[in-house]
Amino acid sequence: MAIVQFASIFAVAGPALAFTILALGAWFGRPLSERAGARVVGLTFAVSFLGLLGAGATMIGTGTDAFRTPLGVWFTTSHHRFELGLVLDRLSLPMSLFGSALVGLVAAFSARYLHREPGWTRFYVLLSLFGAGVQLVVLAGSLDLLYVGWEFVALTSMLLIAFFHDRPAPVRHGLRAILTYRLCDVGMLGAVVWLHHVGVPATVRDVGDPFLGIGAPDGLLDATVVGLLLLFATMGKSAQAPLGGWLPRAMEGPTPSSAVFYGALSIHLGPYLLLRAAPILERAPIAAGAVVAVGAVTALHATFAGRAQTDIKSQLAYASMAQVGLIFVEIGLGLRFVALAHIVGHASLRTLQILRSPSILHDHRALERATGAPLPEAGAHLEAWLPASFRPWLYRFSLERGYFDAMLEGRMLGAVLRFLRALDRLDEAWVSWLEGEATPPARRNEVSKFSEVSR
Amino acid sequence: MSALAHTPGLPVTGEPRLDAAIQHAAHWLPAQAPLHGFVHHNTLHVYEDHTFEEAVRLAYERFGAQPYLSEEAFAGHLASGRIRDVDIDTVLRDEGVSGDETLAGKVSEHALRRARLLHPFEVPRGPSLQWWLEEGNALRTFHPAATPSARAAFLQSDRVASPGEGERARTEAALRDLFQRLTRAVPTPTPNPVPDTATRQAVNALVHPLLIRLSAAFLDQGVAHWSMPDRDRGFYEAFRALYTLGAAPPDPWLQGLRATLQRQSAAGMDAHAAALAALESLGVGPEGWDARVEESLLSLRGWAGMMNVLEHAPDKAPVRAPRTSLVDYLAVQLTLEAQAVRHLEAHRAPDAPPPRASTPDHAIAYEGFVLAQLLGLGPHAFDDAAARTWLARVAAFDALERRRVLQLAYERRHRVGVLDAALAHAALGAPQRPAPRAQLICCIDDREESFRRHLEERSLEVETLGYAGFFGIAMAYLGHGEIRPRPMCPVVVTPKHVIREEALTPPKARAALAHPALLRARHAGRTSLVRGAFASFAGLASTVPLVARTLFPRAAARLVGHTQKKPPATRLHLVRQGDERGPDGLLDGYSIGEMADVVAGALRTMGLDAATLAPLVVLVGHGSASMNNPLEAAYCCGACAGGFGGSNARAFAAMANDPRVRTELGQRGLAIPDATWFVGTYHDTCDDSVVYYDLDLAPDALAADLTWLRALLESARRLDAQERCRRFDAAPLSIGPDAALSHVEARASDLAQPRPEYGHATNAVCVVGPRARTRGLFLDRRAFLVSYDAKTDPNGQALRGLLAAVGPVCAGINLEYYFSCVDNEAYGCGTKLPHNVTGLIGLMNGHASDLRTGLAKQMIEIHEPVRLLTIIEAEVAILETIFKENPDLEKLVFNRWIQVVAWSPSDHSMREFKDGRFVPYAPSTSGLSIVRTSVDHYRGHREHLGCARVEAALGEDS
Repeated sequence: MAIVQFASIFAVAGPALAFTILALGAWFGRPLSERAGARVVGLTFAVSFLGLLGAGATMIGTGTDAFRTPLGVWFTTSHHRFELGLVLDRLSLPMSLFGSALVGLVAAFSARYLHREPGWTRFYVLLSLFGAGVQLVVLAGSLDLLYVGWEFVALTSMLLIAFFHDRPAPVRHGLRAILTYRLCDVGMLGAVVWLHHVGVPATVRDVGDPFLGIGAPDGLLDATVVGLLLLFATMGKSAQAPLGGWLPRAMEGPTPSSAVFYGALSIHLGPYLLLRAAPILERAPIAAGAVVAVGAVTALHATFAGRAQTDIKSQLAYASMAQVGLIFVEIGLGLRFVALAHIVGHASLRTLQILRSPSILHDHRALERATGAPLPEAGAHLEAWLPASFRPWLYRFSLERGYFDAMLEGRMLGAVLRFLRALDRLDEAWVSWLEGEATPPARRNEVSKFSEVSR
Repeated sequence: MSALAHTPGLPVTGEPRLDAAIQHAAHWLPAQAPLHGFVHHNTLHVYEDHTFEEAVRLAYERFGAQPYLSEEAFAGHLASGRIRDVDIDTVLRDEGVSGDETLAGKVSEHALRRARLLHPFEVPRGPSLQWWLEEGNALRTFHPAATPSARAAFLQSDRVASPGEGERARTEAALRDLFQRLTRAVPTPTPNPVPDTATRQAVNALVHPLLIRLSAAFLDQGVAHWSMPDRDRGFYEAFRALYTLGAAPPDPWLQGLRATLQRQSAAGMDAHAAALAALESLGVGPEGWDARVEESLLSLRGWAGMMNVLEHAPDKAPVRAPRTSLVDYLAVQLTLEAQAVRHLEAHRAPDAPPPRASTPDHAIAYEGFVLAQLLGLGPHAFDDAAARTWLARVAAFDALERRRVLQLAYERRHRVGVLDAALAHAALGAPQRPAPRAQLICCIDDREESFRRHLEERSLEVETLGYAGFFGIAMAYLGHGEIRPRPMCPVVVTPKHVIREEALTPPKARAALAHPALLRARHAGRTSLVRGAFASFAGLASTVPLVARTLFPRAAARLVGHTQKKPPATRLHLVRQGDERGPDGLLDGYSIGEMADVVAGALRTMGLDAATLAPLVVLVGHGSASMNNPLEAAYCCGACAGGFGGSNARAFAAMANDPRVRTELGQRGLAIPDATWFVGTYHDTCDDSVVYYDLDLAPDALAADLTWLRALLESARRLDAQERCRRFDAAPLSIGPDAALSHVEARASDLAQPRPEYGHATNAVCVVGPRARTRGLFLDRRAFLVSYDAKTDPNGQALRGLLAAVGPVCAGINLEYYFSCVDNEAYGCGTKLPHNVTGLIGLMNGHASDLRTGLAKQMIEIHEPVRLLTIIEAEVAILETIFKENPDLEKLVFNRWIQVVAWSPSDHSMREFKDGRFVPYAPSTSGLSIVRTSVDHYRGHREHLGCARVEAALGEDS
């Protein structure tokens, strides 16, 4: 079982080590050459992949359903031990294996794609950190540890969206992504705290299901609250309606990072978390219903919005969003194996599609040649069944991406900002009263700068 | 702009006035066609009426785009010896900068400029300068660039002033004294109104995302599953129809838009009326229309430019252009802008005006201060008058001026290298060669230079020629299996003929080259939820191509190639008997007379006739096929409108082989010998493959010659690949020819490769003249080679046509590379890595940006931005007449968009074109490197290489 232990630890520690090597080199002004850097990262993920393959074979060979690798105890109080550990089971093994393969492939792809790019080291530093983060999410033995990986993924996602930080748009869109993530972290934090509060260990353990999972609190109310909080936690990272507006905007980074984050791994971490939390959803039908509802709304919204998008990357972003919505529905309905197969298959398909998205001109021409005619201009499926007068309306609705962004920005964010502005004015009036001034000084409109984040 | 408003004869107001304003603004929009028809052109074509230097300055003011390389880049070139002192001295002398008048001390203007250029130093500004002066060492110690002798001279002049102090204290005192004197002489700044950009930015922030989305939807050629309704009513009406529907969109700034549009709809307004209404609502009177229209259109110039291009050339759309017009676009933009302004006025607190700096400009004093140190001028050289003059001259030689002069010096070094080498090479002469067994007619493309050189090195019996790669056949071409013809000729020509490729044995059913279902699978689930779900469950299958394409790109591409159905044997449908019409109403093929015109034109221009034609004449068309590359057309043959030029080579060969054409030519006195056979081929400049057409038709007597030639081409393409590989960092410098071929093949088939090849990068020279001038001269793939023989063209008739075609094409390529290189963000399209194809027509960064035009960073990174050095072998008198007769050429030459050198065919002297006339050129360097083969010269080098004489191509023994 040493191989299993090694594989679990290396899956997380390997990319972290690669990150350290690359980052230290850059920190001390001696960045690794492209060749050496690509070799370090490639080797890391190759070893990680082979190790996990060996671990899988060993586990199947010995009939082990789950294997736990304790990493020690962070702290102990009178009633609680904060244990750190990694878990390989029938859920995390395929995800982890698949994760290391995809990050490794994208690292190999990028070695040529990012050749001579000034931000080369930065890209690989972030990609390694992302690899470590994903593995930590997947292999974490408790929700607390998972949270750490979750944040690394968020951080690297933002920094890679803003990879070309000499232009304003990538930076704005990176900021928007991280704001969405942080908003949804409220759910994650809330769920962890709530679980601890009701005395349920937030560890991943055998709950009598095919997959290990996080045990549900006994009370229906507690389970429902924790389930809903976890759902909210996943809605940001998996770009579920109505919070998915950041996803098409995230296509500002280099194509390979878009592929591995928003086609393959990052976007599927939400469903993965929900698979881990399946016992809670099982206990709380309202939460499970909410998962189905969010997934279904997203799938429909993203399908319609995607049909009106005229650039290939936005279209793929919405296609991803729609499939992840379906996966949410499957999870809500308790179809766990279906969801897992869906995740793995969809991630493979989408990664390739995003990587070869610049080929669309070729593909369009090839398809025209093969069919021997210009491709039909409009779809003839769902929309053909709609009344003619409704179609332009639906088109505008789709082109405007369901108005979700406008609603969130104009109505909700706007209200929050107005509230903050009112507080700010109050504060200023108070200060100037204290200072004995007659009128508050004219101020620059800082809030409007802040709201530019949303464009 | 305001000049236009007062031009007499222009309409004063109303629609015609608006049209004039739009037309005026449209000039400044990029003229780039949709992606599949990307053809190089001068980015600043519209400024060709101005001199190059004026034009780049005007564009700098209008677009904020850099006119030249940065000073840092030039500093690097100075340090590396790419620019030498002598270049700067010569340029300054040629400009007539005075060396006699002294400004301060004994220093002349010439010395000032020379020092400023040769010792580039940074001038910090604002707070940074403040820090240097107050906290840093600027006033305590000498500037690090000051040489010991300058330091000594500086202190020397100051000896009397402060005797008996320590060296350090004296230096500091003198430096402070100098700086104070100069600061006192700084002129008080004239207040400069700061334009209000905040409002424009706020408006753009609201309008652009929506306008981009709408424009993209309107112009989409087949990416979206649903296309915009009512597109054929024009952009404005489609937009109005969409936004008067149902409830208003919830965006706060769009409240009221629906009412506005409904009013416009009720009043039956068209785009003109809507634009005028928006201008009125914005409070812009007719006198401000020019400025406002220009400002608005230029704020998204990529999209506005695409609207403009498709309005005037709807056939350039890859599928079908909707009814596009710029006034429609402007109406939508202005309507939205008026809406945004209303919203901002109601909701936005005005920004406080930025604090105005009113202190005198210390930066200029600092610049003069450092310069005085470099020249060894102490404080006593500067009384008040001298200090004022000094600063005025320093200010006059500002960064833009310096870069202009550095550019001239940079170009001079290159020019001298090429011209001197060409003269030395010609002076050495060449031994007599046997009559050619084969002639290869390649495109004039700079990338074919190495291919031709390697062929000639392999055999003295091969001769190569250069002719524009469409070979005079201005056709639309319908390849087998294609569904629409595409033009295969320079963009300025509209084809009248179509040539079709037909399968020899008509297939029973339509011969699909690949199964549609398989191709569709690549895009499974892009727009459909249910099919997407099915595709996802089968998605694990994607890991096979994913792994293969990522880890083994070349093997994967080969495997795919093997599995594909072989295309059937085909022939061109070439001959038109009467007046038949083919697709798009074009003439269905060429008549015999037209074909004879094409063949005769080409042979005459290249100076080929019965006496000089070889038994085997091979036409080499070219193109560049690569993966995952939306800019593919930019790498293809520019003379074929960004297409693959093999079809033109094939068509030319078939024409010249046709006995009826030969009879016709014989009657015109240009008989083609019966023993001569033409073969069409295609050279892929990306993977260096060569394809032969219609070899089965070749006479048996030529079988041996063909075998011999094919063997030569096999080795030449390997060497060509090797020479190209020296530029690729990823290929080892020691790479052998076979490995090099594999390397370039891998590049062409790699999804992850943003540099399938370097395209025209490094192009810098164009030689118009017989190959004998350049045979055996290593030109480093940097020269367009145009075959022309002045001996057979005594009155310049052929040259007239040749220069009219070749001049603008080569200049266009060269200048597009120049501009994309000096400012890759403003003139080029930036790095390829985040590019996103929109609507099949253009590139964006991310999900909603302006359309990016120009060349990508990966295409220009090894380029040297010099204006094309055009060497023409012809008499000066003939050239002067030709330039005067052709306004396009005249502008290019007289306004210095290209550098022209005349090489006399009679006395073999060279004359440079300078300030409107030809002046004799005298070589200033001596010695030309002589090497056995090209390989000896380029082996082990990544950098640009100088010219060299290659003995193997000349039959010389060393």
